[in-house]
Amino acid sequence: MLLIHCPHCQENRDEEEFSYGGEAHIVRPLEPEALNDQAWADYLFFRTNSRGIHHEMWYHAMGCRRYFNATRNTLTYEILETYKTGTQPTIVGASA
Amino acid sequence: MSNNSQQELPLNYFHRVSSHRGQAPNAEIFNGEVEYALVVKESPACAFLSLRGDPNDAGFCAAVIDILELNLSTRGNYHCSSQSRIYWLGPDEWLLVSEIDASVLEARLREAMSGHISIVDVSGGQTMVNLRGAPMAIDSVLKKSCIYDFAGWSNAGSGKGRCAQTTFAKASALVSNRTDGSFDLIIRRSFADYIALWMLDAGREFGLRIEG
Amino acid sequence: MSQNRLASHTGAVIDFTFNGKSYQGIAGDTLASALLANGVDVVGRSFKYSRPRGIFGHGAEEPNAIIQLGSGASTVPNLKATQVELYQGLEASSVNGWPSVNFDVMAIVGAFGRLMPPGFYYKTFMYPKKLWMTYEHFIRKAAGLGTAPVEADPDTYDKLNQHCDVLVVGAGPAGLVAAREAARTGARVIIADEQSEFGGSLLASQQTMDGVMAPRWVASLVAELVAYKNVQLLPRSTVFGYYDHNFLTILERRTDHLGLSSAQGTRQRLHRVRAVQVVLATGAFERPLVFAHNDIPGVMLASSVSTYINRYGVAPGKKLLLFTTNDSAYQTALDWQQTGRQIIAVVDTRSNPSGDIVAAVKLRGIEVIGGHGLIEAQGNKRVKRALIAPINASGTQVTGPVRRLNCDLIACSGGWSPAVHLSSHTGAKPVWDESIVGFRPGESKQQERSAGACRGTFDLTGCLAEGASAGAVAASLCGHGDGSVQFPACAVEDYIEQPQQALFLVPHTSATSRAPSQFVDFQLDVSAGGIELAVREGFESVEHVKRYTALGFGTDQGKLGNINGMAILANALDQTIAETGTTIFRPSYTPTTFGAIAGRDVKALFDPERYTAMHRWHVEHGAEFENVGQWKRPWYFPQQGETMNDAVNRECLAVRNSVGMLDASTLGKIDIQGPDAAEFITRIYTNSYLKLAPGKCRYGVMLKEDGMIFDDGVCACLGDNHYLMFTTTGGAAGVLAWLEIWQQTEWPELQVYFTSVTDHWATATVTGPNARRVIAKVCQDIDLSNEAFSFMDWRDGTVAGVKARVFRISFTGELSYEVNVPAHYGRHIWQALIEAGEEFSMTPYGTETMHVLRAEKGFIIVGQDTDGSMTPADMNMDWVVGNKKTFSFIGKRSLQRSDTLRENRKQFVGLKTVDGQAVLPEGAQVVFDAKQKIPMSMQGHVTSSYYSAYLGHSIALAVVKGGLGRMGQVVHCPLADGRIIAAEIVSSVFYDPKGERHHVE
Repeated sequence: MLLIHCPHCQENRDEEEFSYGGEAHIVRPLEPEALNDQAWADYLFFRTNSRGIHHEMWYHAMGCRRYFNATRNTLTYEILETYKTGTQPTIVGASA
Repeated sequence: MSNNSQQELPLNYFHRVSSHRGQAPNAEIFNGEVEYALVVKESPACAFLSLRGDPNDAGFCAAVIDILELNLSTRGNYHCSSQSRIYWLGPDEWLLVSEIDASVLEARLREAMSGHISIVDVSGGQTMVNLRGAPMAIDSVLKKSCIYDFAGWSNAGSGKGRCAQTTFAKASALVSNRTDGSFDLIIRRSFADYIALWMLDAGREFGLRIEG
Repeated sequence: MSQNRLASHTGAVIDFTFNGKSYQGIAGDTLASALLANGVDVVGRSFKYSRPRGIFGHGAEEPNAIIQLGSGASTVPNLKATQVELYQGLEASSVNGWPSVNFDVMAIVGAFGRLMPPGFYYKTFMYPKKLWMTYEHFIRKAAGLGTAPVEADPDTYDKLNQHCDVLVVGAGPAGLVAAREAARTGARVIIADEQSEFGGSLLASQQTMDGVMAPRWVASLVAELVAYKNVQLLPRSTVFGYYDHNFLTILERRTDHLGLSSAQGTRQRLHRVRAVQVVLATGAFERPLVFAHNDIPGVMLASSVSTYINRYGVAPGKKLLLFTTNDSAYQTALDWQQTGRQIIAVVDTRSNPSGDIVAAVKLRGIEVIGGHGLIEAQGNKRVKRALIAPINASGTQVTGPVRRLNCDLIACSGGWSPAVHLSSHTGAKPVWDESIVGFRPGESKQQERSAGACRGTFDLTGCLAEGASAGAVAASLCGHGDGSVQFPACAVEDYIEQPQQALFLVPHTSATSRAPSQFVDFQLDVSAGGIELAVREGFESVEHVKRYTALGFGTDQGKLGNINGMAILANALDQTIAETGTTIFRPSYTPTTFGAIAGRDVKALFDPERYTAMHRWHVEHGAEFENVGQWKRPWYFPQQGETMNDAVNRECLAVRNSVGMLDASTLGKIDIQGPDAAEFITRIYTNSYLKLAPGKCRYGVMLKEDGMIFDDGVCACLGDNHYLMFTTTGGAAGVLAWLEIWQQTEWPELQVYFTSVTDHWATATVTGPNARRVIAKVCQDIDLSNEAFSFMDWRDGTVAGVKARVFRISFTGELSYEVNVPAHYGRHIWQALIEAGEEFSMTPYGTETMHVLRAEKGFIIVGQDTDGSMTPADMNMDWVVGNKKTFSFIGKRSLQRSDTLRENRKQFVGLKTVDGQAVLPEGAQVVFDAKQKIPMSMQGHVTSSYYSAYLGHSIALAVVKGGLGRMGQVVHCPLADGRIIAAEIVSSVFYDPKGERHHVE
């Protein structure tokens, strides 16, 4: 049961209020039709599955309905920071 | 405007239902002689408007002050005047609750605002209930129902209090406090029966009744 | 007076029964202390060998005295007698032993214990494979750990979400002073202890603290804590799980001690605590010594013997023999001597025990036999004698002649093991510390600290100092106080102790493999020999040995046996204990009832039931309901004597022939506003909305980025930059989150806002050739003619006096009006329409009829006819895909992937059974060759299937490989009952293929 700081509500809230949004900072290709099947599949199906530092989206579904990002250590479940969509993390992993 | 008698509030069928201390909910045992530590009262129908806009837009904020005599709260707060309340829901989202007719209020706001905004009448989709009673009993029911920690909320004062959207049992609610120590819950209509049953059950150890 | 009750101990008498026999205990007893007072030796049978077992400990560590409490609906299995508080009329029985604990059939099997080595079941019962189910049935019957009640649980349970600054786990000396230090700073404190009284080991202590006896010192400190408003005290509360981010779960037993019948209110309460800081003061367990037949009733932990004497006034025997490797157990000799009963001797494995307390014991004339081991206990259902022998200094060999000492009670102590369980839940790996001969808590990622015995500090002075400091520091880390200890230290006299001997297996004259069983894990009958055998068979990892031998698998989670077992394993592997490591402890610390985990989320509150504004009308009119997500929707409205089929057929015909009405309020509805609204939804739907005019509606399909359909519905243009999107009932929340994620994270530059209005609108769908005539009766301000208000239009108007929004969209293929009003008017509008429809025999219908009618038209239901693997092309819906749109809408690129272009994908078709009265079951598999041998090639499956009363034959929708190219072919559906139903592949549109019906005048 994680405790997550919502950067919009500016409070620590319980995991129950959130839903997971998957890996963060994946940009949709501007011209999907220009991509071959391999490149499109990379965007569509492949994720980094980080061991350690991982940037991911969370949705404050029961609260302010905002998506934001979290930097989480997938080994310890520590959440090192949360930050608003459109901004960059201050903590990055060695091989992020 | 439509006739009030045609309206049916979400908790209509729960008014006068109570859970006598230690017993199962039962409409018959409701009477004035029995003491209830907790009372849930559904507010009369009023306007609920969802308001979206840019809080950095001075014109947008000024329009709200002009029409509602209220500031747009910045986070986890609400502000209230004699007629209206405005709750913070998100960084660009508020809930207006007012005794002014919803369509009248929407029209006034739209006239005063420009640019990218959104105003949606959601009056039929929610209801507001007030939970009052013994502080210990209120505390217990809130702890049974919500994962949120209300302990940090100081009593509401000077037209301003705290609010939070959070889980309520397996549904959700917008919870806020009042100066008298009671709490308001704004809940979705379709979950109202579930929440009423839940509160009757959770409040049974103290005795709880629901009023219209 | 019961035979073992000390005269000095008095109290109110309590009657109880155990295994059907009546006994008396005293207020304050546990079931275990009362049984010992009554001289009950055998309380259960062991799991594998059915050996008679007696009470061994006095708390959560108890491995043997597992009992079943009460009977009927309230019966509770799997309780430890040492943790059950005695109450008037308590009924308990052993969970093992058939037909009784004193005569157990399985014991005959147990007598051949050597025939049941570890892995016995794997080795013996695996072959022949198909007989395993038979074997298992009898094994389980013979083994068992009590029976679960078969009736519904009559009790109520609660869950409470708690928040605090400092959670103190354990109210022994360290925990109590930790709580006091934290409380003083003003921090919010919760202190929980599993026992009925706070005090932990101090409750049975003979020490003086600040000049008073320890129990009195505890009482005054507890009174101090009670006075703090910021402290919550939770007795009878076991912290059983420690999860991420300092989330802990506590089981509070509120009424169990009052008896099952007299209890009122919440029986057990689950506290879900989020703590800023945690202080673990969970104490330590005394370690048993592993010697031959150490499981005979009458062998107990030394500290348990002391606890029964000092706290409960029970001397559990007549003649004590104390066996120890350390100084702390000598206290038991002193305690025993005070009862006036005989003490045979203290057997100490150390050659020259010489600590302060050893001297005190000798001074009182008690014989101390150093350099000896108690190598074997003898007796059947009670200890009769012990064999002792000199052993070498390293404790590995018997070095001299064996002596027999008669006794009926053996108290043993192999030192203390810190209770690192909760610390271990956090993922912290316990660290072996040779100096305390035990595991200390490891480093954890949580905000916690251990204090006192659970950290390996066993002297009282040390425990108090650590506890006080931990409390102060924890509070300061929450912003309360400066972290320094405020209260003066308590004056305590501790004996100066000499080092203990690390001895995990007492040698026998025979080799371990030949010696009588030396039990390590009592509950699961794991012996030292069994562990050594596992090593000989090639197991090396502690985790594997655990699973192979079942060491620590019992309901006591190896609280007593684990350390000895790991040490024996390390020795057999010829490595250190540190190298061997320990298994990981996981929640729950002690067994937890399902009732507490479920809390109030049972029966009607199990899952929220969502109702529409018309729900009561449906109930009053006899509707049967169907679950759609959390919604309760009317399924059909049976009239007197009607079956479901009768009702659905009647409802369907009413709609096709005259008019019907459906409560469509549950459909998801999202209000969309903003200058970029049209652009945004055009990116989300497969078709374009850029030219949709106000007053108009359009049907759209949404894809996930992989090209698969995930929702559909109508979207209406309400005005400039203003739209209303309908979603499926089940998809509403998912679609809103979907819109938000794209707007918030991918296209924040698009100015558009989304607001859910699902609950705001109540919707009554009036449909059928007479629909217009019904609406006309209650709506005068909308021109309802085909020309003024045509198909796929919407209009504002007044219906039955209420401002309404009316949509001319149709899911039945008939002329339809969907009347939307704010939900507070939902019931009013429904009733007004029912009245208006009376002259046309307007029939309310439910979801089943809705399904039949739409299936006749071949309209899909996302989630029923699609399953997340279907593209628009698969569903024969290419017409809904706007390939000319400039922006590459979500999912578009994936429609060109090799897999989505693949031939022979499953395609959406109709199936018409050759026997028109046969209705295919939904989910039936489709094959091309009915004569093919099993396994047959499955070519598709039926997604929807009904009997159409209007058409007079059954209809089905299916997805079939290459189905669109197979029109007219006959396929077969083999059913589980052996029948094979033949059906012809036809168009999915069975009714009104030209779509003329919704234009009727």
